[in-house]
Amino acid sequence: MDHIRNFCIIAHIDHGKSTLADRLIQQCGAVEAREFRDQILDSMDLERERGITIKANTVTLPYTAKDGRTYELNLIDTPGHVDFSHEVRRSLMSCEGALLVIDASQGVEAQTVANLYLAVEFGLQVVPVINKIDLPSADVDRVMEEIDRDLGLDPFASIQVSAKQGSGIDGLLEAIVQQLPPPKGEPQAPLRALLFDAQYDVYRGAVLLVRLFDGTLRAGTHIRLMHSGEEHRVEEVGCQRLKRVPVPELSAGEVGYVLAGIKGLSGLAIGDTLTEVERPAAEPVPGYREAKPVVFSSIYPMATNDYEALTKALEKLKLNDAALIYEKDSSAALGFGFRCGFLGLLHLDVVQERLEREYDISLILSAPSVRYRIVLNNDSEAWIDNPTFYPDPASIKEAFEPYIKATIMTPERYLGTVMDLCRDRRGVDTTFNYLAAGRMEVVSNLPLAEVLFDFYDRLKSITQGYGSFDYELLDYRQGDMVKVDILVNGEKVDALSQLVHREFARPRALRYCERLAKTIPRQQFKIAIQGAIGGQIIARTTINPFRKDVTAKCYGGDITRKRKLLEKQREGKKKMKMVGAVEIPQAAFVAVLRTEEDEDGR
Amino acid sequence: MKPNDGQPGLYLHIPFCSAVCPYCDFSVMRVLVSARRRFIDNLVAEVSIAARDWREPRPFDTVYFGGGTPSLLPVEDLACVLDSCRAHLALATPAPWVFLEANPEDVTPEACAAWRGLGVRTLSIGVQSFSDDVLRFLGRRHDAQQARAAVEAAQAAGFNTVSLDLIFGLPGQTAEAWQRDLATAVTLAPGHLSCYQLTIHPFTRFGARLARGQLSEIPEEEKADLFDFTHRFLADAGWPAYEVSNFARSSDQESRHNRKYWDHTPYLGLGPSAHSLAINDECPKGTDQKKLAGIRSRRADVAAARRWWNDLRTPQWERRVAAGERPVEGEELLGPRALATETLMLGLRTTAGIDLDGFTMRYGLDLLAANDALVANLVNEGRLVIRSGPEGRRLVPTLSGLCVADGLAMAFDLPLQR
Ligand SMILES: Nc1nc2c(ncn2[C@@H]2O[C@H](COP(=O)(O)OP(=O)(O)OP(=O)(O)O)[C@@H](O)[C@H]2O)c(=O)[nH]1
Ligand SMILES: [Mg+2]
Repeated sequence: MDHIRNFCIIAHIDHGKSTLADRLIQQCGAVEAREFRDQILDSMDLERERGITIKANTVTLPYTAKDGRTYELNLIDTPGHVDFSHEVRRSLMSCEGALLVIDASQGVEAQTVANLYLAVEFGLQVVPVINKIDLPSADVDRVMEEIDRDLGLDPFASIQVSAKQGSGIDGLLEAIVQQLPPPKGEPQAPLRALLFDAQYDVYRGAVLLVRLFDGTLRAGTHIRLMHSGEEHRVEEVGCQRLKRVPVPELSAGEVGYVLAGIKGLSGLAIGDTLTEVERPAAEPVPGYREAKPVVFSSIYPMATNDYEALTKALEKLKLNDAALIYEKDSSAALGFGFRCGFLGLLHLDVVQERLEREYDISLILSAPSVRYRIVLNNDSEAWIDNPTFYPDPASIKEAFEPYIKATIMTPERYLGTVMDLCRDRRGVDTTFNYLAAGRMEVVSNLPLAEVLFDFYDRLKSITQGYGSFDYELLDYRQGDMVKVDILVNGEKVDALSQLVHREFARPRALRYCERLAKTIPRQQFKIAIQGAIGGQIIARTTINPFRKDVTAKCYGGDITRKRKLLEKQREGKKKMKMVGAVEIPQAAFVAVLRTEEDEDGR
Repeated sequence: MKPNDGQPGLYLHIPFCSAVCPYCDFSVMRVLVSARRRFIDNLVAEVSIAARDWREPRPFDTVYFGGGTPSLLPVEDLACVLDSCRAHLALATPAPWVFLEANPEDVTPEACAAWRGLGVRTLSIGVQSFSDDVLRFLGRRHDAQQARAAVEAAQAAGFNTVSLDLIFGLPGQTAEAWQRDLATAVTLAPGHLSCYQLTIHPFTRFGARLARGQLSEIPEEEKADLFDFTHRFLADAGWPAYEVSNFARSSDQESRHNRKYWDHTPYLGLGPSAHSLAINDECPKGTDQKKLAGIRSRRADVAAARRWWNDLRTPQWERRVAAGERPVEGEELLGPRALATETLMLGLRTTAGIDLDGFTMRYGLDLLAANDALVANLVNEGRLVIRSGPEGRRLVPTLSGLCVADGLAMAFDLPLQR
């Protein structure tokens, strides 16, 4: 077992984890030159388009070290964005070591710190890796100082590399085998294998990715999932190289995949432990902390008859995205759908895109919301994340909203603007302190609802890309929430209702109204779009109707052509949602969701 | 507005023009004497071919010579075609109402007398404009002086209706210039006016110039204002509109032929590109009777119809007629949904609007009930009114409704079977 190293690559977003993984993969000769492409582990189209990692990805690499021995390196590349920290958590649980990558020109940032804490919490050995030393703006000395002061790690144990140019990779591979510990575990003990990821293969059913803590797994092993109790017969085990490679056996300490012809997905949950039916383990591997969703939104199929397809798609997606939670929901305007919980707006965005691309279903999402705690006059308590169920204001005694503790890192020169941003977002108890070399850490307690929407984008733009941020949930605090409804020609569009702080109700409502006005096509009558709290209108816009829409001539030869055109246009109308007599295209619902940053960018 | 009630109309398409106008998307070609002779022979032949299949027993009470420019034809040619029609088809007695489209340069007192002798009752003159600049821009062969003279000659000849075609909304044409045209038209006091707002069709020379950026279309707001002005001006002067582009001094001056296109009265069209419509049992023999019966059987009282159209390429049309074939290029069977769609689309273009009770009876669909929110919005917006009278309720477009009639038709939901 001491020839195995299980480790993950963690870092702040964009510090070069996936690029570093590329070099390790190539150096170990795990991929043919002609099959190689940049960020090869980012296999989803969505990841490649956006240039970010969304899902942690595992690959097994053979490495012959200077000592002449051949090691099996199980590498997990993780995402850097805050919204996907559950992926990092999941990955850490099946590793003994971690490479903490730091961009030599950006230095230590918020997720560098956050991910280091996570790794330490899970008892991992951490090797700091200073990347991008090829950049002219690289400042290795400063980063060494930050490693020392801000991270409390030994800067002289760090490895300097350029993942892009491939320099320093030899040294890094040696450090991996020398500094990171091999796994512990008992091949003879009863089987305990942690199910840490899965995907769905149309031919083979569920593909389970497991880390074995004890015991062995081979074709024919009769397994049981310890939480769900489901039992299956293993058909194949293997290594996750860039493709699946079958092996005769997986043994304690190893990482690999398991096929067991599983087509029904309801009994599968990431974090469950596989054991052997004949000789079960006494205790499962300690599972994951359930991902705690912070943003909620309802998903509806654009075409009502896609509801069944959406149900199936969610089930499969959930297998690959353990952080997604959902339950049935329905809307007057949009029909049946699902109320879903997400780890952040990027997560929401990714789920929507994956459903649309991988399962080919057009969706409409309702306005995202955080979860509020409401105490009613009769002292009963309610948790509300769906504006539809927001109680009558007269019956509410007190309302509480979630607060977070935000940790922001920024160069000193942006301190003032960052403090202003926190204040504008209703931040309280904002403090700051100096870090190494002209860098500051700002800590602020902020309502989660104000952070969700475009806080990160704003922060990035006011600090010209240098600011970074991390947060943890703090507590619930009293807040003055109101429910803002959006009315189109006097009819409420329930999917667009939202809960906001009274202070922001008017500007938010106006923004929604304006965006709708831009995306709802002109019709034959004037359309009033209004934002309202209860019966009180707080914002309004109008869409002026067509003024001229008729051709001059319509005689014998024109009628058929004209009717066919009309029939075609009417087909197109079916893709719209009707509210009252107003046709609202999907784009309108999407536009409302958009952050300001997106809008400027377009 | 009840189909089948009116007597059928006969349309004869004469594809010749002295020049092809840059905005025209009709089926037209330039004329040579020999070609003209051959064409007339073929048209005469088509009359007898079509008559074999035309089963509508009621006589035609309108005959319309359109084009193209029928006024280019010598009167003998027109007479020859009419004789053939009288011989093979049932024409109303004592005589059907004959319409003739004419170019101003052809309208002389002599020609008028000859046309009158032929039974022409409506002479429709393609004046287009009373401005020499505009006429030159349009590539017309007549000038303003000729246009005026033509109208005066026609009026002196004593036609029941003299109608003028005018065009507006041209790029570069000022609102004032158009007002002057309208004022001139009104002083000449014709019985009927057609005012067409320019639509630039993609496959015309204007279309090509638009695509190349040599021509620009006027903005929607201005188009609407011009439309509005035209309708108000003519209504005030005593020529209220009865359709989007058609105005008459009194209801007996309205085109009794064109109305048939708008209310599903049967019509037979001969000549290249001409369209025909037959209702229910009067469908010609070639109709797929089984399919038609299928369409009809779903609702006993619902109409079904068949529309067909001739090849629009004159040489092809000629070749087929010469071979004794029907020169039909395409056809369609219209079930309740298609008919209802057309009733809506066409009805909303007329100031008479749609007979709501008739609609319900014919298609088994209460148009208002199926579109209550929409109708409320449109009434509110001042685009439609619901008018109740002794003959039941009608859904009528206002002036601003006429101006968006195409869009209005699209907005309605017609939950009907095919
Ligand atoms: N100059 C230079 N650029 C690098 C180096 N390593 C990575 N990059 C660039 O940095 C950007 C981000 O690289 P990724 O490997 O996608 O970063 P990541 O950490 O995986 O990003 P996330 O997965 O989104 O958190 C890409 O444009 C890389 O080309 C390096 O050593 N030098
Ligand atoms: Mg990455």
